[in-house]
Amino acid sequence: MTPSLGRFLILASVLVSAAGAFIGFAAGQKQSPEGLKWARRFAYAFAALMLLSTLVMEYALITHDFSVQYVSQVGSRDVPVWVTIVSLWSSLEGSILFWGFILGIYIAGATWLNRGKHEEYMPYAIGTWLGCGAFFAFLIAGPANPFLTVPNPPLNGPGPNPLLQNHVLMIVHPPMLYLGYVGMTIPFGFAMAALLRKRLGHSFLRPLRASLLLPWVFLTIAIMLGGWWAYEVLGWGGYWAWDPVENASLLPWLTATAALHSAVVMERRGILKGWTVTLVLASFLLTILGTFMTRSGVFNSVHSFTQSSIGPTILVFLAVTLIASVLLLALRIDSLEAEGNIESAVSREGMFLVNNLIFVVLTFTVLVGTCFPLIVEAVKGKQMSVGRPYFDAMAVPMGAALLFLIGIGPALPWGKATKRELVRSLVPPIGAGVIVAVIGAALGVRSPWTLLTLFFGGYAVHVTLAQMWLPLVQRMKRGGSFGEALVDAQLRRGRRRFGSYIVHAGATIVLVAIAVSSTQRSSQEMTLARGQTAQAAGYAITFTGVEERAEPHRQSTIAHFNIARNGKPVTTMDPRMNQYASMREPIGTPAVHSTVVSDLYISIMNIAPDQQSAGIVVINTPMVSWIWIAVLLMGLGGLVALIPSRRRVYAVEPHSDAAPSLGTAQP
Amino acid sequence: MNRTVLIIGLLIVAAVVAILFMGLGKDPAHIESPLIGRPAPGFALKAVGSDETIDLTRYRGKPVILNFWATWCKPCWDEHPVLTANAQMAGGRVQYLGVVFQDEESKIRSFLEQRGWAYPTLVDQAGKTAIAYGVGGVPETYFLDKNGIIVAKFAGPMSAEDIQTNLQKAMK
Repeated sequence: MTPSLGRFLILASVLVSAAGAFIGFAAGQKQSPEGLKWARRFAYAFAALMLLSTLVMEYALITHDFSVQYVSQVGSRDVPVWVTIVSLWSSLEGSILFWGFILGIYIAGATWLNRGKHEEYMPYAIGTWLGCGAFFAFLIAGPANPFLTVPNPPLNGPGPNPLLQNHVLMIVHPPMLYLGYVGMTIPFGFAMAALLRKRLGHSFLRPLRASLLLPWVFLTIAIMLGGWWAYEVLGWGGYWAWDPVENASLLPWLTATAALHSAVVMERRGILKGWTVTLVLASFLLTILGTFMTRSGVFNSVHSFTQSSIGPTILVFLAVTLIASVLLLALRIDSLEAEGNIESAVSREGMFLVNNLIFVVLTFTVLVGTCFPLIVEAVKGKQMSVGRPYFDAMAVPMGAALLFLIGIGPALPWGKATKRELVRSLVPPIGAGVIVAVIGAALGVRSPWTLLTLFFGGYAVHVTLAQMWLPLVQRMKRGGSFGEALVDAQLRRGRRRFGSYIVHAGATIVLVAIAVSSTQRSSQEMTLARGQTAQAAGYAITFTGVEERAEPHRQSTIAHFNIARNGKPVTTMDPRMNQYASMREPIGTPAVHSTVVSDLYISIMNIAPDQQSAGIVVINTPMVSWIWIAVLLMGLGGLVALIPSRRRVYAVEPHSDAAPSLGTAQP
Repeated sequence: MNRTVLIIGLLIVAAVVAILFMGLGKDPAHIESPLIGRPAPGFALKAVGSDETIDLTRYRGKPVILNFWATWCKPCWDEHPVLTANAQMAGGRVQYLGVVFQDEESKIRSFLEQRGWAYPTLVDQAGKTAIAYGVGGVPETYFLDKNGIIVAKFAGPMSAEDIQTNLQKAMK
């Protein structure tokens, strides 16, 4: 009963999305308001069907209906309820259904928020969204159908992938990533609509930007959660390994970040229209490439789903969307004519261009590094992998350059600047940079790249804070307390600007923390007998014993350690090894003791069979927790910038960045 | 129509799609063992359920199938009947050997008593043999020819066909 209901809903969603896509494009072609109305209805219907089929699957999971194939693959009566609920995205078929569900919500949301607006673009946008919806619905109905029936249902199942059960971050990371990934469909639809309509009007820029910013926020947080999970679970003390699938999540983030910046230039100067549209298209296409990477079995990674037959189907979709994008771009890019030009390279817009260039080069670098093993294997038939050294060698200077731009970009005025203006805006922050670098050096930083990063970081913090402070001062000059000024100048009027500087502040901290944590970490391997104490990273670590714990779904070996500092007990740490019945290898869970300054990290290497001694790795990494917090700050900044202002007012001080320029005078 | 955009764009598309297409169908988890074509690392290990020590050199002259496994590994359970059936069919022409991977002898013993026992299973000393072979996880199987040279490695549970295909190489 449940499987047939699910299959019916999915088939209906294939039909509804395909028909809706057709109606959308037809309505766009004919500019028919009646057609747009119908396209909207189909968009809502698609969302409703996706929601219902996801609910049906959750119902089957919770009731342990093993006659549903997906439930028989990932369900188990032995796992806690929360594991059962999140099993929806623990395996291939369910994760595609979850994708469809989120796509439905996004499409319905975007259609609803733009009701009665942008009528010349909306039919094409809805058509594109539902076209993507039709593809995913087809995937769920055919190659990755979770609702197939099991003829002789088993009494119990194996439960989901142990990695999913092993840590709570695994519950949050995938949905966040999907919200980021799937959300890129919405700006893609807008960009396609702009190309199909042969114009990108000023008013249309706002929905494009907002629809890009929301998934950007999710993707930013999702990437961080993934790194945090790796750090908490994998036991090597790092958070980023340039794994193909990590790269897959980073690629659309890079292009989306570039697009968010080029959209600002486009708004201010009326240039870079085709470029911005290309970046938006690329962000979406890279999410599909990422989906291919995780689900085709072509790339080896901790994230890979088991080999499946949907690889070719996704590849066809990727090829079709790629070709459609290239054709449309080639046809229409010249008609998105520029309305202005760049007066001087040493200006705010000049720095935006450099920023875009770096992001795009970084995207290519990561993409080439990720795909290079495939190329080598295809050409030479040899297996190889591209490791950290390549990526680090490329990404470190570009990361430093981006940090430099976070500092210098906002310090420069728009348009042409006089020499005096340049000196006045660029020189003072040098002091802050030097102070931060000197503090770093005093604390033992010796790596030249890290010192440079600290200098750029201090510079950027100075500029960012100054840019946040400036509107406050101006508002307070006109009367009013600090609180009033904050609410009025930042949160009410300049929310977008304020939000973007919060993001910059977060990004600055992230880049500095990455540089410091990756160069200043220390690691020590040791074997401790029971009761023995050893010194590491300024702590006294005492091995107190081993405990075996049997749970229905796993067997855990837990080692206990007492941690003391200067003779005073600080905490206890309990790293463990979990053995799940369905895994070839045990999964370790290191123990982490975080402080503001640094993290103490203990990971088990081995435990002697008599349990009287344990081999451990003790890693001390400074500033790691800053990364997680600063990325949340970036997400928060994105959200602040996202809240629509009722009216757009720029501050009026002429030397600030807010000087009115082309096309900003809007009601 | 902007020809430059079209041509460059389509070239990139063609390259990306071609590379990804060529990657389809291969198994990324499959890593060629560097030991293939080289003499198998030697060992002398105690057999489960007896005090006998078995030395690998004892089986020179016939192919050996060396299977690393454990009772805590579900895929090993599925593989067990396949291995026992094939070992029984092979009679004395092929030597099957099990090596216990991170497990206790008592558990192995009761498992084998319940599910059939067709060939010797050896207790690895602190995983030394597994490390020498570069075992990445269980089950994992190495195929040795009659001269003790490793000719093939298989990661994961094998079907009867997997055993036969790899054994062919060892028989040559």
